[in-house]
Amino acid sequence: MTTCAIVAGIMPNVTEGRVADAATGVRLATRSDESDLRELTSLAVQGDRTAIESLLGHLRPMVVRYCRARLGRVSGHYHIADDVAQEVCIAVLSALPRYRDMGRPFASFVFGIASHKVADALRSSVRSAVPTQDLPDGPDDGPGPEETVVRYIEAEHARALLSRLPDNQRELLILRVVSGLSAEETGNVLGMSPGAVRVAQHRALARLRQMADLESIA
Amino acid sequence: MARTDAVLDALARRESVTFGVEAGDVAVRLLGALIADVDSHRLSSVSITPST
Repeated sequence: MTTCAIVAGIMPNVTEGRVADAATGVRLATRSDESDLRELTSLAVQGDRTAIESLLGHLRPMVVRYCRARLGRVSGHYHIADDVAQEVCIAVLSALPRYRDMGRPFASFVFGIASHKVADALRSSVRSAVPTQDLPDGPDDGPGPEETVVRYIEAEHARALLSRLPDNQRELLILRVVSGLSAEETGNVLGMSPGAVRVAQHRALARLRQMADLESIA
Repeated sequence: MARTDAVLDALARRESVTFGVEAGDVAVRLLGALIADVDSHRLSSVSITPST
């Protein structure tokens, strides 16, 4: 039984999948009628198991993406980032009974927790751990070796450039693009107006572009 | 700024950015690579359902 299940007091079904498979869930969590999600959150706060499962199903892919983008890989894998994402889910579930709707989207509450968990992970020595590689359950239907290497190099390059951005710009781009939040939702997480988010994201992208261009010249 | 917002929205929706000058924008390409990398790695997803 996972810790998530222990917190929720219910048994989990553990399945394999890709984060991308949950794209629909992300869209539902971030783009659907906010009142629906608010109602779902309200039911989850009251301990409704179906609502908790649904809420977690919506939020977890966004949290995983966020943690992976912030923490990167260790030994070529995202185990550490995924563990931190799991910790975020556990913390969210633990905090649910105490959650009070203050008019801000639930996602801002979740990413507030995620931001602190990632900061804790970055401060700790957890990144030095080298996890054992799991054997795949079946044939890998992903991209081939060459494409994988190119993508890996570019992703690491992106992560390196993002790490050189000011904290607020890096956080904004990751939430907005990698986690898939709207400008409004990103603003709620970061305490900015949607207009300020649009100005800041424009500047952040320009700065990222400038750094990449300078590197290509050097 | 509206164009940047549209590009970032497209990336957030996992749509390919193939329109205008953004198609060759190095920053957009790098963010796209990061998204693809983050999305494509397998993870164990936990579906919480009541036990039977």
